[in-house]
Formats: sequence, structure tokens, C-alpha cells
Amino acid sequence: MTDPILVEIVEGTLASVEKEVETAIARTARSPMIRDAHDFRAGIHDRRLRKLTGRSYSALVQPVVRDFPIETMRPGDVYFHNDVYLSEGGIGHLPDLCVTVPVFHDGEVVAFVQAFGHHDDIGGAVPGSMPSHARSVYEEGLMVPPIKLWDQGAPNEAALRIMTRNSRMPDSLAGDLDAECSACLMGARRLAELFDRYGRQAVEECFDAIIGKTTETFRRELLSKIPEGTYVWEDYAEHDGVDEPRLHAQRITLTVDHAAPAPLTIDFTGTSPQAKGPINHAGDYADGVFLKKWLAPVLRNLADTPERMAELDVNEGVVPLIEMVFPEKGTLLTPVFPAPTNARTFVILRLLGVLAGVLAKATGGRMPADQETIRYTGVYGADADGVPYLMREVLGGGSGGRWYADGEDTIHIVPDSRNIPVEFAEARWPFRVERLGLACDSGGPGMFRGGLGYDKHIRMLRDASYMSIADRSILSCWGVNGGLAGRPFRVEINGREMDGLVDDHPVQAGEVIRIRTTGGGGWGSPYDRDPRAVAADVRDGKVSIAGALGDYGVVLDGDRIDEQATAELRARLRPPADSSGRFFDRGPGYPKLAGGRTFAEVDDL
Amino acid sequence: MRSVRIGVDTGGTFTDVVAVDERTGEIVTTKTPSTPANPADGFMAGIAKLGPLDVSSIVHGTTVATNRLLEDRIGDLGLITTEGFEFILEIARQSVPDGYGNSYFWVKPPRIVPVHLVKTVGGRLDHLGGEVRPFNEEQAAEVARWFRSKGVTAIGVCFLHSYANPEHERSMREVLWREHPEAVISLSSDVLREYREYERAVTTLVDAAVKPAMRGYIANLSTRLGMPFSVMKSNGGVLSAREVVNQPITTVLSGPAAGALGAALIASTAGHPSVITLDGGGTSTDVAVVVDGEPSITTEGSIGRYPCKIPMIDIVTVGAGGGSIAWISPEGTLKVGPKSAGADPGPLCYGRGGAQVTVTDAHVLLGRIPPHLLGGEIPLDVDAARAGIEALAGKLGLSPERTATGILEISAFNQSNAIRQLTVKRGLDVRDFPLVTFGGSGPLLACRLIDILGLPAVVVPPDPGNVSAFGLLTVDVKNDYVRTYVTRDLDLAAAGEIFRELEREAAEALDREGFDDPVYARSADLRYYGQAYEVRVPAPAGELDEAWRAEVTGRFHDAHEKLYGYAYRDDPRHGIEWVNLRVSGIGPITRPVVRRRPPVADPPPPGVRRVHFEEAADTPIHQRAALGPGAVVRGPAVIEEYGSTIPVHPGFTATVDDYGNVEVRRD
Repeated sequence: MTDPILVEIVEGTLASVEKEVETAIARTARSPMIRDAHDFRAGIHDRRLRKLTGRSYSALVQPVVRDFPIETMRPGDVYFHNDVYLSEGGIGHLPDLCVTVPVFHDGEVVAFVQAFGHHDDIGGAVPGSMPSHARSVYEEGLMVPPIKLWDQGAPNEAALRIMTRNSRMPDSLAGDLDAECSACLMGARRLAELFDRYGRQAVEECFDAIIGKTTETFRRELLSKIPEGTYVWEDYAEHDGVDEPRLHAQRITLTVDHAAPAPLTIDFTGTSPQAKGPINHAGDYADGVFLKKWLAPVLRNLADTPERMAELDVNEGVVPLIEMVFPEKGTLLTPVFPAPTNARTFVILRLLGVLAGVLAKATGGRMPADQETIRYTGVYGADADGVPYLMREVLGGGSGGRWYADGEDTIHIVPDSRNIPVEFAEARWPFRVERLGLACDSGGPGMFRGGLGYDKHIRMLRDASYMSIADRSILSCWGVNGGLAGRPFRVEINGREMDGLVDDHPVQAGEVIRIRTTGGGGWGSPYDRDPRAVAADVRDGKVSIAGALGDYGVVLDGDRIDEQATAELRARLRPPADSSGRFFDRGPGYPKLAGGRTFAEVDDL
Repeated sequence: MRSVRIGVDTGGTFTDVVAVDERTGEIVTTKTPSTPANPADGFMAGIAKLGPLDVSSIVHGTTVATNRLLEDRIGDLGLITTEGFEFILEIARQSVPDGYGNSYFWVKPPRIVPVHLVKTVGGRLDHLGGEVRPFNEEQAAEVARWFRSKGVTAIGVCFLHSYANPEHERSMREVLWREHPEAVISLSSDVLREYREYERAVTTLVDAAVKPAMRGYIANLSTRLGMPFSVMKSNGGVLSAREVVNQPITTVLSGPAAGALGAALIASTAGHPSVITLDGGGTSTDVAVVVDGEPSITTEGSIGRYPCKIPMIDIVTVGAGGGSIAWISPEGTLKVGPKSAGADPGPLCYGRGGAQVTVTDAHVLLGRIPPHLLGGEIPLDVDAARAGIEALAGKLGLSPERTATGILEISAFNQSNAIRQLTVKRGLDVRDFPLVTFGGSGPLLACRLIDILGLPAVVVPPDPGNVSAFGLLTVDVKNDYVRTYVTRDLDLAAAGEIFRELEREAAEALDREGFDDPVYARSADLRYYGQAYEVRVPAPAGELDEAWRAEVTGRFHDAHEKLYGYAYRDDPRHGIEWVNLRVSGIGPITRPVVRRRPPVADPPPPGVRRVHFEEAADTPIHQRAALGPGAVVRGPAVIEEYGSTIPVHPGFTATVDDYGNVEVRRD
């Protein structure tokens, strides 16, 4: 048996090193996506390519080792890749630049420190390398398969020149790469000290124990809460940037068998064909190991309390618990090269929601309602000195209501992702933010209301172009267990409504861009919400008086609740107990894409 | 009567008092229980215990402000901000802490001001301070009257871009004075003249939140004391009580700051100008870095969950202290902290109803601390500690001794990781720094920390429990002033004017404190264009010319390289951006002299106790008072004194230097 004390020490050191590497990157990187949106992650993997740390998702080491066998690696080597189709599924789109550094002990590779970050621009058809109308990966930027970026301490200047030459923001690209490389090398030194102190065998035994206890904890505390059986659910991306909006389904058939070696089988069969536009995700590589680790955090919502959920780490230990079944090549999750992928975020974020939804079906609603917290909005043009600029930010949205709390307002799924301070933005770019608020009534009504999205008003001071990459502009974040859907993403420029996918819409100086982001879905019937909570929401500007009346059946007289009128109205509005198909609410946008149907077949319990 | 300077450090459990004879440097210390209901009681009791003295000055370290924040004991507080931004606190920076996926279950903690107590007023400035829309007096008056009608008297004001032009905020204050005379107001342009609106708003609100309590406390203390006194600030300076009530935020976290400064002075006298300081208490450990006698300063600190961007000594607090609880996670591993049994009920061995094994219990089981506290005043229940650890050991399948050493090793690792993160953040190599440990539990893990971090030495000052109070007497008067000036092309004339303005403000404040020979320390925050974080470097005094610019940018490249391992010194593609200009106004005091110790005549022989290091063995127990300068103690051994213990592991040696410090090194 491994020493439980050493296990704790090794685990604490891994977490500390991961944090030190991320701190170093955050403090020196240039791209706003890394700096402010924190769209970067560090991870530590062992020699067997298993992820040891648990705070973050991460890319994979598999593609590096595939092309550069471990025994050929030397101290001072740094590997690089961003090629989606040669990343074994670990990289989703080309702006995610990934650096991998091997850790040595007694001349042998014993572990890897890896970091990837979302950089400003890696070339391709549009500034920012995320062309929403791309038809192939060739329009999305420079593809770099695994290469040696540093050879025993010597940077590969040729590769760096090629990469920076292909970027519209070469300096920031070079700065970001320096930040990632220095930070990973520092982390590798720290890990080597751990091996020196305790010896390779003892440390590797601890790695096994750390991974093993995640497997056991997930099995014991989380999976045990799902009744055995087979459950099906699906949700949709609404547009791919090429075809007219339609339902692009992602379907999960979840089979739970507690006696099986892998108690969960996640079968994606029924997922829609590969899209012409860039919403595909190359998931069917390395047995889906990336998607297993990407989706497993949703399982944490099955724990008893939010505090316990926060304690549970997701490392390689979740992988043996999940079997994945992919449909044949040519679907959203099994695209064929060179299908474009730059907006695959919407598909893999939606998958989190599909898993949450299927688990809600399995557990009678003990899962949070839906959230959508990533979309890119921005403006670009030339500043007063004629210098081109690109301002692009990732605005969060409301999270879904939970069985224990309302959803939260304007949050983001990427840990520590930050919005851009108005005072910083106005000093740098030619616009004024006239309002940064919450979008009233955007949260899905429920016993626990969905969180609210942003209401942001940007007044341009010079002519510019507006861009956005956003899903959930027609469809809503769903409500569950009687809760209703939140409001979708909506942008108006001087009253003209925009689509979710916009590469280049002209904005005149003086015009105002109004952005409202998605509200989270509601949980439980809004008619069961405490009228005092509704009154407080009205007082705080989160729900309108009309919303209180129409969505919650709460009659207010000033700030006083008319209790009798409320009880009468609620009795009238409440649907009969035996009505079916209301376990999920997909919002008013769904019938527009579903031929008038108000709910999907799989929505029935 | 002797003329003395007195330092009073009010901590959570004890109020420590240190008096220094101004002529001889002789030090007298005493201790009295703290009185949280009215901390002034403990303060007065501590001074009284010293007996009649000619007191020339008093410096006070207080946690009145900090505790209010940490315990969420803040009364109704209001925020007035720019029209369109009433949700500034709800939105914050949109960030969810910790792990990926937490956005599904995270519950946002309550905001410092609930949204229904946030009001907005029209009027808008741009980032250069130019007026886009005039201040709306009428709305302002309505808002002021609304707060008065609701009885909200503590009010923070934060308008967009007020760092560039405070006029609108000052107009708002005029309106509040007129319409709501009872209001206690904090303007963001007074508290923190720096950009980033959310952080500035919260910093301003923290100031407003603690103002009423601090004013009441200081007024009460002034009356009872009958003489002026100074209050310790988090930036490592002091300020007169009279002035500090206007900016109480500057006192939060001042306690740990005093400890770091005291330790820094003791260490540099002993020949170690650059050290890491570690203050080990009952529930937590505070760590700071001192380079060339100066503790490093941060402006990215926070109090509890509130970001506070005023300059403060950069202290990392880790939940690892004597009372930290050892427990088994649901996954079956042994964890230590961050929960603590505190002083009450405290560890099992206190016999006061504690039910969980703590770090102190592990020490007592192994015999590394004596079976009593404070020189014998409080006996410890060794059997209770043993029973608790045996139960834990049974669940882990380990021996009680291995479990106890394991608890201590994990605790040492928790401290090491905190020290490591602090040094990494500053680009320092921990192996270059001796560690100065103090506080009740600070010295206990000295040998393990040397081992894990590869430290050259650990220095334990005499009276390690009184280092913080002593530190209060080593501190200059210090005020900080900042102005945001974001530019890639610094106009030397404009920058010179800003420095002169800041120095004028500093001079006025120091003049009020009675200093006619002040010192001004300039600094500037720079970054490579595109970065989000700045690096602060000192800037020379005198006229600003091209040589001055070259000197500052040169220092920035050097500092960046030191911090992060690379710089763009000769690379014109990577421009430098200036962000903030700063001035610290310093009124220097005479620091107390750390005295050499006389030799000890006829030291008594050491005692003996069973102590478990690698195995249980009869081990010499030395009384620290019996160890004079030059004394050498080879491990295994234990050195004991009132309030603190130093276990010297096998393979380590402790020596006593001329000033009475114990230095522990690996053989």
C-alpha cells in the first residue's frame, strides 16, 4: 500500500506546480484571450500520458509522443502543436497553441508539463483566426503538427519566424509563446525536484494512488446516484455559419450499469452530420479520452452539496469509468479533415448541457438547468493614429437554476476568466461603454431562477466593424423540472438586429451596439418561487413587474405583495399536474427551427 | 523615569506590548488577553502592566478593521456610481474561482453592497479626465436624500475615470455634505487613484465600511490614553491616529506587516539582509519576503474575498498553524488544515473539549514540545493527544508515531508550497534565503523547512512571540500616492508635473505629522504593451530627462527578466507602456538598537525527555535562557522558552549568535 502521507504531499505539490505555471503565464502573456479571458490551462501528465492534476481541462500529450518517441526526448526540449486533426482530439481549434515540456529524472522522461492558450491570431481568413463562415480548416489559419520548438535549450528560430510571419499580431504571438515556454520549463524543474527527493518508484506509486482514488470516489459518491438504465437526450447548435439556421443535434444515449467495469456508456449515435461551417469537433480520437475528461466535471453536480462538488478533482481517474461510442465518420463529433472547427466551442459546451440533461432525466431533475457562458463579441478597425486594432471579448452569461440556489449572473465557465474593465477598454480602444448592466428578465423563470446575462451598450467613437461568434441566439438555455428557458443572445446596432455569427458588420461613429447575453434556464416551477424572492428581484431590477406577473404569477402593489391575488393567479396559471413534455422547456425559439413543435420527442420522461 | 517608546499589537488572542528604552535600547515585554468586545480595554491593561514610565510615543497595530471584514460585520453600506453601472458589484469580473466546471454549482457570495443599496448619478468623464457629460446635481441630491431616508450613513463613491479627474466625485461629496450631513464618505479618487473600476470600487467600499468603527475606536482610545499615538499601516509605515481615521483601509492587514518588519530588522542586524519571514500562529501562518531589508510590497492584495488594491506588504497567509486539524478525506488520504481548532476549544491536549487531532497534538505526542504551555502555566494532556492520534492511525493503517510525523510533514509541505508560490511570483530562488521564524508555532518546523526547501538556515529571534509588537517600533511614517497615466510615449514634462503634485500632497501630510525633513521615494509601474499586469520599479529623484527615462526603462527590463526569465531590452517590436506613477512620502524615525547579549554565567545542564524524531530516544532539553552567545546545540535536541519551542532534528545544529538569535543549519 502506498504511504497516504506521501500521496498527500505529492498531490499538494502537483497542484502547487500547476498553479505556479498558470500564474507565470497569466502575468506575462499578451493575448487578451489569455490575459483577461484566462483561456489557457496548464496540466501535468505522467510518463504514461495520464493527466494528474484536477483543476483544469487540458490538451493531450499523446500526439507529441506519437511523433517523438519518449526515448528520443532530451532535457531542454520543448514541443509545440496546434493542429486539430493531428492532436488526437486534444486541440479544438487552431488559435489554441500548445507547449509540452518533458520532465527528466536520472536521464529518463518521467512526466510532462503542458500548457495551451488561446492566442490572438494565427492567420487565416479573418482577424482573430475564427472565420464563422469557414468551409475548411485551411481558412482558419496556420496548422502546426507536433514539432520540436526548442531543441535541448536552443529555440528553433525558423519555426518561430514562420509562425509569427503567419500571424496578424506577431509580437503578441511571440510574447505568448515565450510566456508558455518559460512557465512550463519552470514547472518541469519543480517536478524534477519531487522525483529527486522521494525517488521515482515512490512518486509513481503516488501517481497511481491519486488517479485510483478519483476513480473510486466518482464511482462511490457520484455514479451510485444514477439509477441503472438507458436514457436518451439531445440538444442543438442552431447555425454553422454556412447553412440557414437549423437544428444540429448532439445526442447522448447514456447507459448505466453499476456492475460493468465502465459503469457509464456514452453513445453519441444520432448526432447530426458534420456541418459545412466551423462548428465541428474532432472528438473520436484516442478512445475519446479528451471528451471523457471534458465531460466528467458535469458528474460532480451529483454530489451532496456544492461544497463537496468543489472538492472533487477530475484527473485521468475518470477515464476508466466511461466508455464512449462514436458514430461513423462524418458527424459533428467525427468530422473528416479538412472540415472547419474554429467555433467548435458551441458543440462541446452544448455537450456538457446534453450530459446534464440526460442525467436530469435519469435522476428526476437533480441537475442544474442549462447555461451558455461563452461567445465572442468585438469590434475592429483603425484607431486615431491609423493603427489597426482588434477588441474581442468573451462575455459570460447566466448559469442555470439549481435544486439549492438560483443561477448566478454573468459568469463564465472558464475558471478565472475575466471581463475587460471599462476604464482599461476606453483607454485603449475608440469606444465608450455607456452601460454595463444585467439584462432584466433574461434569467429563466423557475422556483430557482436562472442567472441573468449582460446588457452592455458600446458607443463607437470611430467607424469600425462589429463581429460576433455566438450560438443560443435563437434557441435558449433550457429550463428543467418545470423551470422555463432563459432569454437568448441578442445584439442590436442602432436598433438593427444582428445574427449570432457576424464577421464584419459596419458600425458608424456615434452608433451604439447593444449586447444582451444569455440568461440561464430556470429550475422548478416559477409558481413555486417564494413571492418575496420575486419582489426582491423586481426591486433589484432583475425581473420586471410584467415578468413578476406573467412569468411568476406574483401580483405586486408597489413593493408590497398582494398575497391573495398572487395565490389566485398562480392557481389559474399553474399547468395541470399530469401534463407531459414539460420536464424541459426549450424556449420560444425552438418551434421556429423544429417545424412548430414545442418540444422534442426525447424531452418526455 | 525612563523614556520609552511602546508598541502595542492587538492580536486575536493576546495583546502584546513591547517597550524600548530610548537611551539603552533595553526591551521590556508583556502580554495580556485581548478584549474583542472593546479592544481598547486590553490595550490599556497592557500599558498599565508595564508600570509608570515616561512614554515618548506609542505605535499601535490593530485588527479592528480587518476583523470587521473577515467576520462580515459591516453595517449598511451604500455605493454611488456612474449611471448605467448599478450592477458593477454583481457583475464583478465575471470570474468563477478554482476549477473548470464550477460554473454549474458555484454560489456567488454576497456582494459588499447589495444591489438595492447601489445608486447611480449622471455625468461622464473619459479616460483622460475630459468631461463627456456634466455631473447631474439634481440626481445627486435625490440619491443623497434617498440614502438619508434609508439611514445609510457609510457611503462609497466611485465614478468612472475619477482616477484621471476627481471633480465629479468631489461634487458628489459636496452634495452629500449638504443633503446628508451624517454620512461618512469615501471617494475612490482619494482612496486609490488608479484605474480598473471594479477593484477601485471595492477598495473604496472597504474603506467606507471600516471607517465608522475605526473612528469610534480611535476616538475612544485617544480619550483614554490622553496622548497622541500612531497606527501601523499595511504598507509598512505608520501614521498618526488623527490622520489614519481618514483612510482606515490603509490599516487592514497591518499586524502581519509589523511582524515582517520586526523580523527584517532583527535578521539584518544579525547579518541577513534578505530573508523570508514566517509568522506561525494558532490558525494560520503568514509568510513574507524581505530583500535588502525591505519587505516586498503588492497592490494586488485582498482582505477575505474583497480585493484591496492599496499598497501593502506582500504577505501570503496559509491555513497551517498549531491548531490546524488533521483529518481523513472521503478518498482516504490524510489532510491537515485549513480548518483549525483555534485557541478554543483548541487541540485535544488542551483538554478543553477539542475533539479533533491538531498539529500541536502531533508535536506533543512525539515529545517535541513540553507537556505544558507558557513555561508551565498551562499543562497539556498527552494521553488525550495520543488517543486521538491512535484512532486516526488505526484508520490509516499506520503507527501513531508515523501518523504524527506525517501530520507534521504535510503541515511543513503546506507551508513550503506557500513560500514557494510567494518566491516564484517574485522570481526569487528560495535557496538563497534564510528563513526567520517567529510566533508561537513558527519555529517548530524549522528543520523540516530547511530540508524541503533547501534553505541555508533558519533564524529564530529571542522572544519569538513578541516580534510583531517589536516590529511596530521599527517603522517610519509612510504615505503612498498614485496617479494612473497610461501612455506608450511618456511626456517627461507631464510626468514631472505629476510627480511634483504627488510630492506636494506627500509633503503636506508629513508636515502635519511634524516632519520637516521628509524623504520621497518615486516609483513607476510599467509593462510591455499588451500585457495586463505591471511591474513596479523605483524611479530616481530629480529632474526628468532622457537619462531618467533610460534609467527607469532599464530597471523595468531588468526586473521583468528577474521576475519572469525574459525581457525585450533591445527589441523595438516590444514597446513599453507606462501605467502608474507613484510617490511614497517617508518621515524617518530612529530605529531601536538590537543589543548584543552578554554571556550566560554558569548555565544549568540540559534536562532530558523522550522525544521521537526518527525514533524515540532520550533527548537533551535546553532552556533557551541558558544558551549564551556562541552556544552550540547538536541535534537531536529541543530548545525551549516561554511561549515557543525549537526542535533540533538529528543532522542539524543550532548556534546562538551575538544578539541571542538561534540559527539552525543542516550539518
